Amino acid sequence: MKRRHAAVALSAVLALAGCTSSSPVARDPGRVVLPVKQLPVPGRLYATKSRALYRFSGTQLTLLRFASRVKDPAVTPAGDRIAVAQLQDQSSTIVVSDPNGQTRQTLTPSSAAEGSLWAFAPAFAGDGHQLVYLTDRGKQPSNPQNLRPNDLGVWTYDLDTGQSRRLVQPYAYTGGDSDPRYRPGVNDQLVYTTYLYGGAPPEAVARLTWMSLRTGATIYLSPDTGRNFQPAISPDGRFVAFIRAGAGSDDLYAMPLAPTYTRELRPYPSESAVLIQSGIVSQPVWSPDGSAIAFLKLVNGSFDLFIVAVSTAGTIQASGPAQAVTHGSFLDADSRLAWSS
Amino acid sequence: MNHSPATGVPDAPGSRRVRWIALGATVLALALIGGILLYLSPLLALLEPHDPTLGRIAGIPAATPPPLDSKQRINVLLLGSDNDQKFKQDALLSQTMIVVSIDPAKRQVTMLSLPRDLWVEIPGHPSAKIDLAYAEGGAPLARATVEKAFKIPIHYYAWVGLNGLVRVIDRVGGVDLDVLHPVLDDNYPNDFSDTGYGTERVYLAAGPQHLDGRHALQYVRSRHGDLLSDFGRSVRQQQLLLAIQQRAAGLDLVSALPTFARDLNGHVKSDLDLVRLTQLALFMRGLHAPDVHQAYISPYVRDAVSADGQQILMADWPAVHAYVSQLLGGDLLP
Repeated sequence: MKRRHAAVALSAVLALAGCTSSSPVARDPGRVVLPVKQLPVPGRLYATKSRALYRFSGTQLTLLRFASRVKDPAVTPAGDRIAVAQLQDQSSTIVVSDPNGQTRQTLTPSSAAEGSLWAFAPAFAGDGHQLVYLTDRGKQPSNPQNLRPNDLGVWTYDLDTGQSRRLVQPYAYTGGDSDPRYRPGVNDQLVYTTYLYGGAPPEAVARLTWMSLRTGATIYLSPDTGRNFQPAISPDGRFVAFIRAGAGSDDLYAMPLAPTYTRELRPYPSESAVLIQSGIVSQPVWSPDGSAIAFLKLVNGSFDLFIVAVSTAGTIQASGPAQAVTHGSFLDADSRLAWSS
Repeated sequence: MNHSPATGVPDAPGSRRVRWIALGATVLALALIGGILLYLSPLLALLEPHDPTLGRIAGIPAATPPPLDSKQRINVLLLGSDNDQKFKQDALLSQTMIVVSIDPAKRQVTMLSLPRDLWVEIPGHPSAKIDLAYAEGGAPLARATVEKAFKIPIHYYAWVGLNGLVRVIDRVGGVDLDVLHPVLDDNYPNDFSDTGYGTERVYLAAGPQHLDGRHALQYVRSRHGDLLSDFGRSVRQQQLLLAIQQRAAGLDLVSALPTFARDLNGHVKSDLDLVRLTQLALFMRGLHAPDVHQAYISPYVRDAVSADGQQILMADWPAVHAYVSQLLGGDLLP
C-alpha cells in the first residue's frame, strides 16, 4: 500500500516537473545526414561513421566500400591514394587503396610471433612514399598471470621497399603514443602525442611531441601537465592545430611551429590561439590550401563534421564561425579525418 | 425516469449531470491510478524497502534519511560488482565503491571514490579489504563498513552488476567520453563469454568519443595500460558516472522509465524509495558539470602488504577524516 502511495506521489512529481518537456537525447539515424542548407566541401574530405568510410566533395557524399570495417583514413597530398586501418575481430591492419577504395593492398600483418597485432592512424609523408602509423608490434607476449606492456608505438613503413621500423618506443603501461603525422614540406620531422603520467596526485598527461627523423631527437611542445593532443599540421608546415582538454571541454587550438627545435622551449610557447572553445571538439585536419580546419564537434549527443575558416596572416585566428557539414550523423569521433585537393 | 429516492420527485437535469460527471471522474481516476501502477510496476520491482534495521550491524545504527523537504546532505553508496558466471552470486565483491553526496542546499554533488584494496575494519569480521564487506554481508555490511571507516552517514545504497551497467548505458543511447589515454589490453576479461573466463583484446583510442555500454565498461574496467592502477580506474569510473548523468538529463523520463526498469531487473538493486528516487533524479537533471565534484583519497593512502600477504592500501585515517570533513562539511559521526 505504501508503494501505491509512493507511485501516486511520483506521478504527481513527474507531472509537476514537466519531465516530458526536456529535449530528447538524439538517436543515431544510421546514416550520414546533411543539413538542409548544404555546405560545399572543397576538395575531398574523408570521415567514418560506424566504421564505414565516407567522402565529402562539393555537395556530394560517397560511401567507399571496403571488405571490413575501417577507421583513421589518410590521404596523400595529391589525393591519389588513401590509407585506412582495417579492423578485424581482434586485430587491425593498414590498407592502402586508390581514392575510390579499390585496388587495395594490405601493408601490415594482423599477427606475428608475439600474437595478434593492432595497426592504426596511418599518415602519408609529403612525397607519398612513406607512412607513419601506430602498432603494438614488437611487444612481449602477455597472459593474465604475467601482464606485459603492449602499448602502441610510432612506426614507419616504406611503400617502395615494404620495410617497417619502429621510430618511437612508448612509455610502458600508458597505452602508448598517438596521432603521428609528418610535417609537410620537410619529410624529416614528425609531430605526435606522447601519453604519460605526471603531477601529484598523478594524472594522465598528453604532450605534443616534435621528432627529428634525422637525429631521433624528440622535443615536447606542450607542458608536462594537462592534455594537449591530436596535432594536425598546416600544409605549409607553419602551424599545428590541436585539441586541449579544459574543464569540461575539449577546445581547438593552434600554435606556430619553429623551423626546427634543438631544445625544449621553456616556458612553452604562449602564442597558441583558441579557435573553437566551450565544446567537445576532436580530430582536426587542415584543408589542402590551409585556409580552413575541419573537425568533429559534439552537438546534442552527436559528433558532426564542421569546418572553420582560419587566417594565418600574422597570428592564427578563426576568420568566421564554424559551419556544419553534417547534422545529427553520429560520426566516429575516435577516427581521424583526412582532406585532400 | 430517475427519481430522487428521498422524495420520489424526478431528478433535476443539473443534478443528474453532476452524478454522471462524478461517476466519470471516478472511473477516470481509477483508470489513471491503475495505469500509473502498471507503468511503475517494473520500477517498483527494482526497489527494496528502506529498512533502517538492516544497517544495524555490530551496534552501528543505520543513518536515517533526511526528510524530503529538508536541505540536509544525502549520501548514497554506489556499489558495482563483477557478477559474471565465474563468481558466486551471493558473495560478490564490490569492485566499485563510490559515495555520492548530494547537497540540496548548494545544488552540488560530490563523488568520493573508495579504493577497493583499502584495508578497513569490517564490523563483526576481521579487518580486510573494503570490497569484502559486500561479499560477506551485502549492502547492509558494506554500508556499515563505510560509515564506520569514514565516519559519514550512508542513507541509501544502489548496486549494479556488469550487465546492468552495460544496459543502463545502452538504454541512454551510449555515453560521450573523453578517453584520457589510449587503452590497450591483450588480456581483458571477456565478461560476456559463456564461462566468464575468456579474454579478449581491447583497444580504445584516446580523446573524445561516443561509447556503447560494452566499450564504456572496457574503459572503466581495464587495468592494463594504466600505471595509476585502482586510482586510475576510480577516475574513469567517476568520468563514466558523469557521462551517464549528462546523457540521462536529456532523456524523456516518463516514457523511458518503464522500459529502463524492465531492462534492469535483476541487474540493479537499491533501497531508495520511489519518491526519493524521483526527487534525486529530478535534482540530478538540473545539474551542470561544474556542480559535480570528483574526490579521491589517494593522497592519504599508501601501498602495503597485509599479514596474509595481500597487496593492500593503508589509510592515514586522521588525514582521511579531516579531508572528508572538509569535503562534505559538517561533523563526522562519532
